[in-house]
Order: sequence, then structure tokens, then C-alpha cells
Amino acid sequence: MDTLNYLMHGFGIALAPENLLLASLGAIIGTMVGVLPGLGPINAVAMLVPVVFALGLPPEGSLILMAAIYIGSEYGGRISAILLNVPGEASAVMTALEGYPLARQGKAGIALSLSAWTSFVGSAIATIGIVLAAPLLARWALAFGPVEYVALMIFAFACLTGLLTDKPVKALLAIMIGLAISTIGIDANSGVYRYTFGSPNLVDGVQFATVVIGLFAISELLIMLDTMHSGASIRVENLGRQLFNRAEMRFTNVATLRGSLIGFFVGILPGAGGTVASALAYTTEKRLVEKSDPEGSRFGKGDMRGLASVEAANNSASNSNFIPMLTLGIPSSGTTAIMLGVLTLYNITPGPALFRSQPDLVWGLIASLFVGNIILLAINIPLVGLFARMLSVPAWVLVPFIVVVSTIGVYSGKSTTFDLVLMVALGVGAYFLRSAGVPMAPLILGLVLGKILEQSLRRALSLSAGDIAILWSSPISITLWAMAAAVLLVPLLLPTFRGWRHKAIVESE
Amino acid sequence: MNTDRLLGAAAIAVATIMLAFGYGLQAPFAYEPVGPRAFPLIAAAMIALCGIILVVKPGEPNETVTAGPGRAIAALSGSLLGYALLFQPLGFVIATTIFMIPIAMIFGAKWWQGGMAGIVLAVSSYALFDRVLEVVLPVGPFGGII
Repeated sequence: MDTLNYLMHGFGIALAPENLLLASLGAIIGTMVGVLPGLGPINAVAMLVPVVFALGLPPEGSLILMAAIYIGSEYGGRISAILLNVPGEASAVMTALEGYPLARQGKAGIALSLSAWTSFVGSAIATIGIVLAAPLLARWALAFGPVEYVALMIFAFACLTGLLTDKPVKALLAIMIGLAISTIGIDANSGVYRYTFGSPNLVDGVQFATVVIGLFAISELLIMLDTMHSGASIRVENLGRQLFNRAEMRFTNVATLRGSLIGFFVGILPGAGGTVASALAYTTEKRLVEKSDPEGSRFGKGDMRGLASVEAANNSASNSNFIPMLTLGIPSSGTTAIMLGVLTLYNITPGPALFRSQPDLVWGLIASLFVGNIILLAINIPLVGLFARMLSVPAWVLVPFIVVVSTIGVYSGKSTTFDLVLMVALGVGAYFLRSAGVPMAPLILGLVLGKILEQSLRRALSLSAGDIAILWSSPISITLWAMAAAVLLVPLLLPTFRGWRHKAIVESE
Repeated sequence: MNTDRLLGAAAIAVATIMLAFGYGLQAPFAYEPVGPRAFPLIAAAMIALCGIILVVKPGEPNETVTAGPGRAIAALSGSLLGYALLFQPLGFVIATTIFMIPIAMIFGAKWWQGGMAGIVLAVSSYALFDRVLEVVLPVGPFGGII
């Protein structure tokens, strides 16, 4: 009953007034950024990295705020997808498939409240899953040495290249660019300066905030220029009946449950977040319904079961994303990668020891996921009209705001013009990479994991005096290598798998 | 030229630079079998490999994100760069007010709307960050907030 005690302790932290305030703030910001196209959770969290330091927040406070934004954006993403057929963020693409037709039939209010409810169910199931699975996984992972870590990270990278996109080469390239950036600065083991080009600004590496804000917030502004001209007319009128009824709930219960479970398991895998989960849940649900109930299937024309399963799945996945991040120190999405990077800025080493060394942080965060989801459900059903109105904020207000907050954030770190210029350069570079189809989430994972991977690799090879056979010397590491190989090979062998992956949006979260 | 080919060529160029500057990285006293050089070189080799694959076997030319309106992209990049360079010399409030005008206009504002956005943002975020949150922002050439 250790877990229960820890969880109660976690609730004590999550319900402390300042953390409750942060979770509520995060839920509101998260829903807002989810609604606004062009400002996803990853940009919002990236922009917050320096702000939490400026506020002097303790690590658990920062994480609670960022986690609430992350899960909140999944709630928000559905609003614009349903009302306007414009997904607020990548994982809401599948939501639009069934949600928008429902809105066209005058059932927008039902679609919104039903999807808020299934989002909540998905999140709640995933959070319970975290409580049950995470401590076990962490205890198991405590036995990991540097050898196992190397294999684990290779497995994570294999997942990223194999699962995330249609273009494994580009994902691999992104990971390697991230690793390359992580090598900049003084080498901790030998004191050698690497890729500093004589600049004192690069001696302790590139500031994390500069990289994430450049890569995500700044490049997103340039991407907005591409997409702006296709802007939908924003008129949100008749929402219809506000709340779903009991029959509709019973009709979708099974779909919600299936979506939640699919989302939970997909979310654990590194690299596969809400986008893959919602695509998989949607195609599964569609196939099952068409088989069992061909007459009743209204998929593509507004089937509530499709909507329910998708929303349950992507919320479930974004919650279960926290499992590998907290237990193994391996983030499974771009957003959790940034949170992990934030932890390292607090001098907290992520990994299985976190459960023992930072129980306040871990359990406070887990409890705050419960709290955050309740807040989100509470604000999303009555206030949906208010959030929908956010869609009419013009881009010329939003963009300067993003620019100013980003710039202040980067500047607050070291107060140098160098960092500001680097931020812009990285943003423009990332824009070209994204235009060429290179996903950004693997890049940030490579950056966050680069140092740990290099250190583990060097430590492992020190143990064996340079013999690389040590990398596959333990049963755990052999298993991980085999899993990595399987993840890379399965897509090549299974055409059906390729089919649904093709549907998942290439754009990273 | 195909986007993928261009990307591949750029990757190979980056890998070459990494190789050129990384090859000489050696610790004066080596305590461990793997020094500071190995990891960057592995990354460089993998980047080069990806580049070669992209050059030899590029994908379909049409991408999800099309090359957007080039002039707007250049204008926005230029404005951002200008803002970054003059942020310190001009001070936060002046630089923000000036540079938010073109940025807002690129996104469809009239010039006076951009000016309003700039002034409101500059003053309110100066008050919030510099005064309330104690993030020190650069003061203007006149020593005060302007």
C-alpha cells in the first residue's frame, strides 16, 4: 500500500493553494493554446521554460503548470476541429473527421460536451494506469546501468523513426541534428571545447530555452504565413443542445473505453503520442463498427463513436506519455521532452531514481494530472463558447505577443544579443527543415537525450575497457535491441500498419 | 531541384563541417577509452548517411508544407533578426514598438493597428516582466524605459 500513501502525499502537494492555482492557470492556458491554430502545446511549453525560472517556481510547480497546459491543449484542440474543421493541433485531425459533420448537423454542442467527457474518461483511465504501472516500471528500471541505458535510448530512437512518420530517414536526421547540438560546449569528462568556434557564448552549450523557442515558437510563426491564407471564416453560431444525453453516452461508452486503452498503450511508446493514438483508435473503431453494425455506421458523416474514441485516445495518450518520462527518463513526445529538459535545468537527473529521490515531484505531478483533468472538464463544458471566441483573435495581435514573450524569455537567461540572434537563426533554419518534411519532435528528443546517451555510452565502454560487446551483454539490453529492431522492421513487413500510419499526420506534436 | 535532394545536400555539408571541426577534438590526458571525439563523429557520420540517402533516393516532390509566399517569409525573418540585433542597443520599449509594426503588418494589420499592438505590448510587458517579475530588460538609450 506504499503507492496509496505516496498518492495521498501527492494530492497533498497538488492541492496546495499555489499548485492548485498553477494547475488551473495551466488548464486555461492549455485550452486556449489548443484552440488557437498555430500555437500548440509544444510552443506554449517552450515559451514557458524561461518564464517559470523568472517566476522562481519550484520544480514541482513548473511541472504541474506545464503538464496542465499539455493535457489542456488536447481538450482545446477539439474545439476548433469540431466547430471549424480546423484542427488546433496535430492530434485533433481525427477529431474533425467526425466532429465537424456533427456540428454541421446542428449538434455542435453535443459533440463538444461529449468529447469533453470522453477526453476526461480517457485521461482518468490513463492516470490510474500511471499510478499502477509507473512505480513498478521504475523499480524494475532501477537495475539499469549505462549499458541498458544505451540500449533503451536506441530503442526510443528506433520508435521515433519507425512509428512517428512516413519518412524514417528524415526522423533519423532530426534525431542526429539534436544529438549534434547536444555536443556543443565544454565536454564534461575531458574539458575539451567542442564546436564552440571560439565563442565564449557557446562554452557551456546552447541554452535550452533558446533552442526550444527558436525551433518551435519562432519557426511556427513562419509556418503560419504559409497557412494563413487558407483561413476559415470564423463564425461560431448555433451550438444546438449543450449537453449530451444518457442514450448518447451509453451509445459511445464502449468506444470511449476502447479508445482510452489504445491511447494508453500507444502513449507509453516513445515517439508515438496523441497523433498516432487517435489515428489508431479511429481506424480500429471504424473497422469494428462496420463489421458488427454495418447499417448503423455513420463514420465519415458524423458518428459519435468515432468522435468519442478519438478524443479518449489522444487524451489518454498524452497522459500516459508521462510514464516513460518519469520512470525511465525517456520522453515520448516533444512536449514531455521539454519538461524533461526543464528538470535537468533544475539539476534534477531524470530516470528511475526519480521515484525515490523526488517523491514530491513525481507524486505531486501524478496527483495534479487528476486535479488538472477535473478542472479541465469543469471549465470545458460550460465555457466552451468563450474558448471558441478565442478563434477570432486576429493573427496580428497574436504574433507580436508570441514574439515579445519568446524574446524576453530567451533574453532572461543570459542577457546576450547572441542568444537572440541564435533564436531567430534556429527558427528560420527550423522553418526550412519543417518545410522539407523534417519533424521537430525527434530533434528535441535527440537534444534532450544526447548528453545522457553520450555519457552512458562512454561509461559503458570504460567499464569494458573499450570493448563494444558490452552493449549487448545483459538480458535486458539484448531484449531492448531486439525490440528496437522489431520496431524498425515491422513497418516494412506489414502493409496494413503502413496504411494507418500514413493517415497519422506527419507533423510532429 | 527536389526539396529532398536539397535537404540531403545540406545535411552532407553540415556533416562535413562537423567532421572538419570535430576530427581534432582530443583530450590532452585520456582517462577513458572513448574520448570527446567519438560521439560528435558518430553523429556526423549518421547525418552524412541520411544526407546521402536523401540525395540518392528522394521522395515525392510535393510536400505537405509548400514553399510559402517568399517575400513575406523574408520580411518576417528580416524583422525578427532586426529586433534581435537592436533589442539591447535600443532598449526593450523602443525596439518592441518599432519592430512590432512591420511584424503585425505582415500578418494583415494596418500600420496604426501595428503601432497600437507594439506600444501596448511594449509597455505592458515591460511593467509585467521588468517590474513585477524582476526579469531585467534592456533600458533605452535615454537611460529610462525609453
